[in-house]
Amino acid sequence: MSEEKAGGANGSINVPDELKDTVTLTTVDRAVEALSELLSPPVSWVANLARSNSVWPLTFGTSCCAIEMMSVGMSKFDISRFGSEVFRGTPRQADLIITAGTITRKMAPALITLYEQLPEPKYVIAMGACTVTGGMFNDSYSVVQGVDRIIPVDVYLPGCPPRPEGILDALLKLQQKIRTESYSERRKRKYKQEAVLYVDYDTGRPVNDLVEEAKLETALALERLKKSRKGESGTSAER
Amino acid sequence: MSETPAAKPAETPQEPGQFGQFLKEHGISSQRLADSSGVETIELEASQLEAAVKLLRSSPEVKLDYLVSVCGVDSQDTFDSVYHLWSYSNANELVIKVRVKKASVPEGSLPSVPSLSRFWNAANWHERETYDFVGIRYYGHPYLRRILNPWDWEGYPLRRDYKQLVDALNDKAPGSFR
Amino acid sequence: MAIELPTTGLKTDEMIINMGPQHPATHGVLRLILTLDGEFVKHTEPVCGHLHRAQEWQGQNRTLFQYQALIDRVDYLSGMFTSWAMARAAELIDGCEISERAEFLRVMVAEMNRISSHLLWLGTYLIDLGAMFGFPFYPFREREKLLDLFEEIAGQRMMFNYIRIGGVMRAPKDDWLKRLEAFTEEFPKRVDEYEAIVTENPIFLKRTKGIGILKKEVAMDYGVTGPTIRASGVPIDLRRTKPYSVYPKLKFDVVGMDKDGDTWDRYICRIREMRQSNEIIKQCLDMLPKEGELLAKKQNAGLRIKAGEGFAAVESPRGTLGCYIISNGSDRAYRFKWRNPSFCNLSVLPELLKNHPIADVMAIFGSIDVILPDVDR
Repeated sequence: MSEEKAGGANGSINVPDELKDTVTLTTVDRAVEALSELLSPPVSWVANLARSNSVWPLTFGTSCCAIEMMSVGMSKFDISRFGSEVFRGTPRQADLIITAGTITRKMAPALITLYEQLPEPKYVIAMGACTVTGGMFNDSYSVVQGVDRIIPVDVYLPGCPPRPEGILDALLKLQQKIRTESYSERRKRKYKQEAVLYVDYDTGRPVNDLVEEAKLETALALERLKKSRKGESGTSAER
Repeated sequence: MSETPAAKPAETPQEPGQFGQFLKEHGISSQRLADSSGVETIELEASQLEAAVKLLRSSPEVKLDYLVSVCGVDSQDTFDSVYHLWSYSNANELVIKVRVKKASVPEGSLPSVPSLSRFWNAANWHERETYDFVGIRYYGHPYLRRILNPWDWEGYPLRRDYKQLVDALNDKAPGSFR
Repeated sequence: MAIELPTTGLKTDEMIINMGPQHPATHGVLRLILTLDGEFVKHTEPVCGHLHRAQEWQGQNRTLFQYQALIDRVDYLSGMFTSWAMARAAELIDGCEISERAEFLRVMVAEMNRISSHLLWLGTYLIDLGAMFGFPFYPFREREKLLDLFEEIAGQRMMFNYIRIGGVMRAPKDDWLKRLEAFTEEFPKRVDEYEAIVTENPIFLKRTKGIGILKKEVAMDYGVTGPTIRASGVPIDLRRTKPYSVYPKLKFDVVGMDKDGDTWDRYICRIREMRQSNEIIKQCLDMLPKEGELLAKKQNAGLRIKAGEGFAAVESPRGTLGCYIISNGSDRAYRFKWRNPSFCNLSVLPELLKNHPIADVMAIFGSIDVILPDVDR
């Protein structure tokens, strides 16, 4: 018969309630699912270890903390021995944004766009007091008080500016976080993509709109299905 | 300008200084204000500003041809546009203030001062910045648009009666310092 | 300029592209809206303000004592100079005398800061031109030595808060002075190393000679200051034209060129200025008085200056950095205005970029040495 599992472990097949009567899982489905569950802890352990040792940051430096970020890339406080060998120039090839420097209202849309252009899994280190909570500009009219008001942050690093060793410490904490995370937990974290919209190639319409239309259609189809079932059962009960 | 009325900043000298005298000889009347730490400070009317600057800039003995900065100040009852002039060839320094009384500005419009951007291209960005912060409109400016705040910002932040916009990006707990 | 070919009717048009606020060139957040005709730039509009942190507004709302700690961030590579400009303006209004020992210490740390700022400029300029992972390690090596010295005397690597209204905060110990002397002994050899790699390098020459020529009249019109204008034939150096502090006692020349300068001239000016600052530090080490009070005004929350107004400027690595204070006798200033060199130097960028291919944009922009918080405050 059908199985329903409410969220949970990696690789579980989630069958919605309305379709319970109509979906049957075959042996192959169940075998594949059991195998991926079996392999998932060792595989994700290896995958996480590999990922954590090569976190590539984006060259994003707004202000004074950018100088310390440059110093950490230089030979005295070498960051490439921790895996961040290159700082990528384009967000499409990076997996970490170290927000080094104050984010102002004028710059906030650009930062949101950059964050959304990073491919998953992506991380953010909020570096410096300005990005943690607004810092010394806490009463200024144009500074965003903490970058976690606009993007989700993984590691907070205080300091004005933090020493290069501080940046390395934050990177090590981030690496530890990556090693102990599970992908399903990350997927559950809700971040509504606002700045960068994915567009369907054929119709030219935003993908979010198409998904919502499809959901509406399935809801309507289910309604009609229920009504027709009730109609059948009603007539059969009458008989 | 001072908190206690008795503590006046400095005595306003009675005789016109070197540049005030020079302008008087060429028919422009100016009023001398208190020296700003040893540098002569004169006040001009908005209508005389362009003529005065043209004279000061082109005369060979005065030659004040280096515009250092244009600053906007919201004093208690005037909007000031303060110009610092130096010279590339000699050691002359002058501070010119153009004061527009707040009472003479009609409601909903901005104080108006002629722009110096046709004499110096340096004045272009400085005047845009003053417009952005204090809201003094420089007529004759080729591109008067906000430069440091976003283009659709409302309000002039360095005025004394500026109320800060508080929204989700910079709101605070009730007891915090603001 | 859009043209239409008469035979085929094919039209060309100008293209507007955005060199957006985030770019791999390590220059902070500046947006350039470029209008291109093919590869050549026809018109530029620099959109600044992405780092506008309202520091002049903060000057009105913080006490003078609090504000002294904040202004290092106005120009973070030369924090000593912003502190010095504010201290000079306040001392001018207040009329307080600074001891000679404090003045010599001020000059020493300021020239060290000038060297470290030019070293970082050199490193990032070569990154802009494309020498990404080879060359910048060298100037940063020297810079780290200077930052270690700064950390001992001021407590911080970058935001020093060392020059205060009335003097300087701390006196150096003897072994600090010895280490600084050792640094000045070996620094000229290091500059020779950099010059050996860069100055006669054919790739560097091809990318910077004849590019971005700044004419003397244009520079004077736009109020450009610093090495940018000295490389174009106008020998304005506040340390010599309007001398302040103990600079009249020190022997040094104004570094400049005789003709309209291009990018290579500006680079050479800064290299020579680094050597010159080294000489100035050596002279200061010899002439440093042993006795003298460090602070003329007590640094606590009740720091006040007399009512009045004043404008004072210092020669920062970028140009004339001026501070205009209107004070009303209370512990808060009434108005703080910063005259930043990068703000004025950036306004000349549209003139410099005309008719250059887009590949030269970063070379020219890097040679003006603009720091964005200096533009945006």
